[in-house]
Formats: sequence, structure tokens, C-alpha cells
Amino acid sequence: MTDGATTHLAASLNIALATGQALTFSDLAGFAREAEAAGLDMIILDDSAPHGAAPSSPFEATTLIAALATVTEKIGLVASASTIAHQPYNLARRFASLDMISHGRAGWNATLAQTPREAANFSRPDGFSADDFRRRSEEYIGIVQGLWQGWDADALLFDRDGGRFHDPQGMHLLDHKGEFFSVRGPLNVARSPQDAPVLVLSDLTEGDLDFAARTADVVLLDERAAAEDKACHGDLKRRVSACGREPDAVKILADISLTADGVSGLADRLEEKSFSKSCDGFNIRLPAQLSVFDDLIDRVLPELRRCGLLRENHPGTTLRSHLGLAGGGDQ
Amino acid sequence: MTAQMKLGAFLWATGHHIAAWRHPKAHVKAGIDIDHYMALARTAEAAKFDMIFCEDAAGLREANVDIASQTSRSIGFEPISLLSALAVQTSRIGLVSTASTSYNEPYGLARTFLSLDHLSGGRAGWNLVTSASQIEAANFGAAGLKPHADRYERAREFAEAVTGLWRGKAGHDGQSFSVRDPLDLPRSPQGAPVMVQAGASDVGRDLAARTADVVFTAAQTFEEAKAFYDDLKGRMAAYGREPDDIKIMPGVAPVVAETEAEAREKFEELQELIPDDVGVALLSSYLSISDLWRHPLDGPLPDLPESEGMKSRQALVVEQSRRDGLSIRQLARHFAGARGHWRIVGTAVQVADELQARFEGGAADGFNVMPSYFPGELDAFATLVVPELQRRGLFRKAYEGATLRAHLGLRRPS
Repeated sequence: MTDGATTHLAASLNIALATGQALTFSDLAGFAREAEAAGLDMIILDDSAPHGAAPSSPFEATTLIAALATVTEKIGLVASASTIAHQPYNLARRFASLDMISHGRAGWNATLAQTPREAANFSRPDGFSADDFRRRSEEYIGIVQGLWQGWDADALLFDRDGGRFHDPQGMHLLDHKGEFFSVRGPLNVARSPQDAPVLVLSDLTEGDLDFAARTADVVLLDERAAAEDKACHGDLKRRVSACGREPDAVKILADISLTADGVSGLADRLEEKSFSKSCDGFNIRLPAQLSVFDDLIDRVLPELRRCGLLRENHPGTTLRSHLGLAGGGDQ
Repeated sequence: MTAQMKLGAFLWATGHHIAAWRHPKAHVKAGIDIDHYMALARTAEAAKFDMIFCEDAAGLREANVDIASQTSRSIGFEPISLLSALAVQTSRIGLVSTASTSYNEPYGLARTFLSLDHLSGGRAGWNLVTSASQIEAANFGAAGLKPHADRYERAREFAEAVTGLWRGKAGHDGQSFSVRDPLDLPRSPQGAPVMVQAGASDVGRDLAARTADVVFTAAQTFEEAKAFYDDLKGRMAAYGREPDDIKIMPGVAPVVAETEAEAREKFEELQELIPDDVGVALLSSYLSISDLWRHPLDGPLPDLPESEGMKSRQALVVEQSRRDGLSIRQLARHFAGARGHWRIVGTAVQVADELQARFEGGAADGFNVMPSYFPGELDAFATLVVPELQRRGLFRKAYEGATLRAHLGLRRPS
């Protein structure tokens, strides 16, 4: 897979932050199609409103990307979903199903930070201590990834005449018994078309880096000063190698926040970071005013393309193949 | 105008018949093919069904791996994501998904279904189940399946919390759940998503009488269906509700063809496809014995030790096998093929006659249609039975409203 000089590009949007008119499904479908036409690897959708804000978006992120999958063909669709709001079996199943619906373009953005107050809506008025939350999140994510591997790629036989729908040997129990969860498995959704949905980790602290190195496909890191960025990138890649994984098996995207003020100077910033190899790409955090996204597409992306930093088309059909990750399903 | 019946299209992977996946006209890859479901949804919408209905379990259906591998039910789509995809590819039909009160929290479930409701412009419904399977329980902790009464107490509180959240209320503080905030999504386009239930036990009926908009049931005979209908509607006054506030829709598994002979042939063809292991395993569980497979399959049922749990059902099976002179294999196919639901094998006129009799006899407000295999048998119902019902004025020719509540003739909640 040619990953070479090009940089990975994602855009993330919190639909619950829209002020004034909520974004409609047709607005969001338009956004996804535009991002697809511009060759972005993926969009990341979050739905968490700040506490006390009036309801602004009518949609929850996982149901939204299921719908968006039917109006796009290439772009990766990643939804943020919280480890507090779902049981691990249910979440693993939802994303496995989204991956089937999108033909291998789904991903889960797991935040490693506890959202204030969320637990209070899920029968946990006091939430979790920081330490418990970290151990719980790690156990949770391990279960989800384990469930995604429950069916071998060749397990389904569809042998009508022989009367064998699947190979009993191709289905594996998880049999997880841990500190917070006990999950027998297997998942009742077939193996992902891209091997497994993509795991994106965000809101990491220093103490999460080894865990991320072991498990993540994509890590979103806050943008820092260029030198610091580069050191952080090197550090994480070393940890990835230390787990016995190829350094390239984890893509580090620098989070770049765009404000409603626009995109001036952005192209230069991205170019500099790309050439200094301080990340594998960028996640552009968009404000809910989608006009800024148009500016990005019209004014910034052509510039990046001119420097050869952005590829013209999606090389494959799955999100893993866009990201240059192993197990792309369509190589 | 004559009263009109409500119809649900109950979608289930390759089909409701246990051997559907082996039938040459079934789509064997249904469980991994989203386009298959898109096509089914369009067929159902073109036929003006009130809703698509999806069953669900958060786990395998069968613990014995060898038996499970001879059915198509171990893999499929997760229904809420599936219906969310269908929501933006359809425009009128209702979209109902099953979800468990035992393995979810009210805030998350209320929020997800409300999102589906917004994506579909007010066409979503939730089928509440408490999940009675050990297999599912093992995916959600080490404690195992909770007793029936505990599950229903949790379900009652769960339903109360969800309906409160859908009506914009903040906070719930109860025995099983606590919720601090109101939902952060705007109110449903149809007031609130539709509540569907299927519990047949005494507590299940009470819960339905109190909270359900639609009740799905299994009833073999007219008398059974009528008794259930009268009982449930009779319980509603205690909760200050009108009988018409609930639509009772029993399941029906039709096998329909141009002639009765063809329909019978079609059914026999399916029955022949039931693997002996699968049929015998199901029959064994009906009879509560484990070594049925040791006996010659073409021979008669052996003398059985009296079972503890299910005396009446065992007696029923034994009596039928003696009366009709059925072998173990024949008996196994008979039970595996029917699985407790009302089956009608015949022409469109015959099927319509039976549906009309139950509808007009006050035993049903409509039916949840369970085609034997997909897409063929949904097509058959849509092209043969629906026009016959329409000719009789028993079913709509066009959608009157835009929301699921409107199709079902349900009040918009305040």
C-alpha cells in the first residue's frame, strides 16, 4: 500500500454544538459527501452536548453514521460512543453492524476521558474515580476488540446442500472474566469486511500511551508546538514497536481546531508539520458552522495537493485501506 | 368505511422457517447483505405495511454449536443500526426494533430510539423485551439470568423512565435506575416513539396494559387469540386507558401460492430441508429429554419418562404422534417448522379469509406477518394477499399519514 509522502486527513464535527438551527440530515449528508469528494480518509462525529445547553441536534452519532453510510460510498465513518452509555457487548455489536452496513468503512472513537455528569444519567450518580475509569476503559476496549475477532474470515460456509451454514470451528467464545465485566461471546454479527472496525482513541493522558500503543489503530493527539509534537510522535511510535507492532500500525493524527474565523495560514501550518514528520496526518476539528468546512475544501486542500501531501482519490474501499492499516479487506 | 387491519412485516434474516436459508429462493447471505434489507423495506413500503418489525437477541440463539451451525441465526445485523440505515432510504413505513430492558439503561435506549425517530421523521418504535435467555445473560455479567419477576420489575421501571424521558421529563430515581438530566435531543416528531410489547405472562400483560401501544403475540387458534385479546383490553381501564389505545397484532406465518396445492408443496419443500439434528434437538427440548437421537428417526416416539416442567406440552406431542402415526423425524419437522406460531397454508383468498375472520371476530387489530423465507415469501404476501385484503376494504391502498402513530391510529402523547 502506498502511504509514502501523503498525509492522512480526517475532519471531526460535534453535531450537538450547532448554535441556532440544528444540522439536518440533509446538511450532514452534504457534509459527508463533500468530505468524500475531497478525498478525506474519514469523518468523526460526536453528539455530546455541553451540560445545560438546550437540545440542538436531533441525532445520536451511531444511528447517524448508519444513515450516512447509505448516502456515501468511500469515506470512513467514525462515531464517538462512550463506555458509560453502552455495555461492551452492545457497543461491539453496534459497530460490527455499522461496519457491515458501510461495507467496511466504520470506526469507533473511544474517549479515554470521563465526561462530567454523564455517569449520572446511567445509574452511576458518583461516576468513577480516575483510576477506576482508566482500568475499566482498558478492560472495556479489550473486550470490544476481542469480540470483533470472534468469527474467522472464512467461517461462513453457506453450504445449503450440506446443511452447514457456518463452520463450528470458525466461531470463538471470548470467555472474558475481568474486574468490571464478564462477557462470554461470541458476537452475533459476522466478521467485519475490513477485518475489524477501526479503533480511534482520543483524550489520552501520559498514562494511556502504552495502552494506546497496544490497541489503537488511530490516535488523536492535541496539537502542540512543532518540536514537542515531534517528540511525542517519536515516543508513541517507540512504544508501538515495543509492543511488537509495526510503527506504522498506529496512525497519529494531530488535532487541529478550526474556529469560525476561518482558515488563513492553515495550509502553511499543515505543510510544516507534515514535512517535519511530527504526525501521520491531521484531524481538523470543525466548528458547527459548516461554511468553514467549505473554506477548508476550497482554500486549504488545493494547496496541500499542490505540495503532494494529499492523494487525489481513495485507494481502496475500506477505512483501513484509506489509512494504510493492515487487514484492509480489499487488498 | 370498514375498519382496516394493521400489518407488520416481521423481517428475520433468511426467513422465519428454521430451514429457510437452505431454500433456493431464499437469500442465503441475508445476514451480511444490507442491500437485501433495503429491497425488503421497499417491498414492504410499496405494499403499505404499517411497519417493519425486527426481533433481536444480544447473543446466539442456540447454545449447542453444532446445531447452531446448521441454522442461519447466529449472525445478522444489529437492528437499531439496520433500521437507521433503512430510515433514510424509505419515507413512510414504520421501523420497530426490539431492545432489552435487562441489558440497557433507560437514558441510552431512549436517546438512541429518539434519534431513529428523528432520522425517520417520526416512524420509530421500540419493542420492549426482558430477555429470557441464559446465552444473552452470559454476555452481560457473571450473575446469570435474573428471575422472571425481577426482570419484569426492572422492565416496568425502565419503561416508566423511558416514556418520561421521551416526554421531556428530567430525572428518574428508582430501584434499578437513576437518571439526572432530561434527554439532550428535541422532542419526537410523533410525540414519542411507539411502544411495542410481547409478554404473555400475567405481569407481562399488566405491563402492556399500562404502557404498550402495540402488542405482538403468538396464538394458534381463534379461541386463544380472542381470549388474549379480551383479557388484555380488559386490563386497560385500570390504567385509565381506552381499549383502542393498544393495537393487538398476533404473529402469522402464511405460506401462500396461486393454488392450495402449490402452497402445500411449497411448505413441504421447506419442511424437507430441516436438518434432522436441528429438528430432533428442538423436539427434544419440547419433550424435555436429552437422548431422543439414540432412537431410530423413522420409528415411533419411545415411551417417555414423565417430565417435571412441561407435562401438558409433552402430553400434547405424545398424543399427536400416536394419533397421526408420526415417526420421530416427521414429528421433529412438524414442531421445528411451526414453532408456536399460527400458520396458514393456502391461496390468497384462503389466507385473507382467515385473517378477516380473526380481525372481524374481535381477536386481532392486525397481524405481524412472518414470511417463511426472504425475499420470495414477502413478495408473495405483498403481491397476492395484500391486494385481496385491499379489495375487501380491509387494508389501506395508500398511507394516510406520515408517522407510525398515524398509520396505527394512535393518539399523539401529550
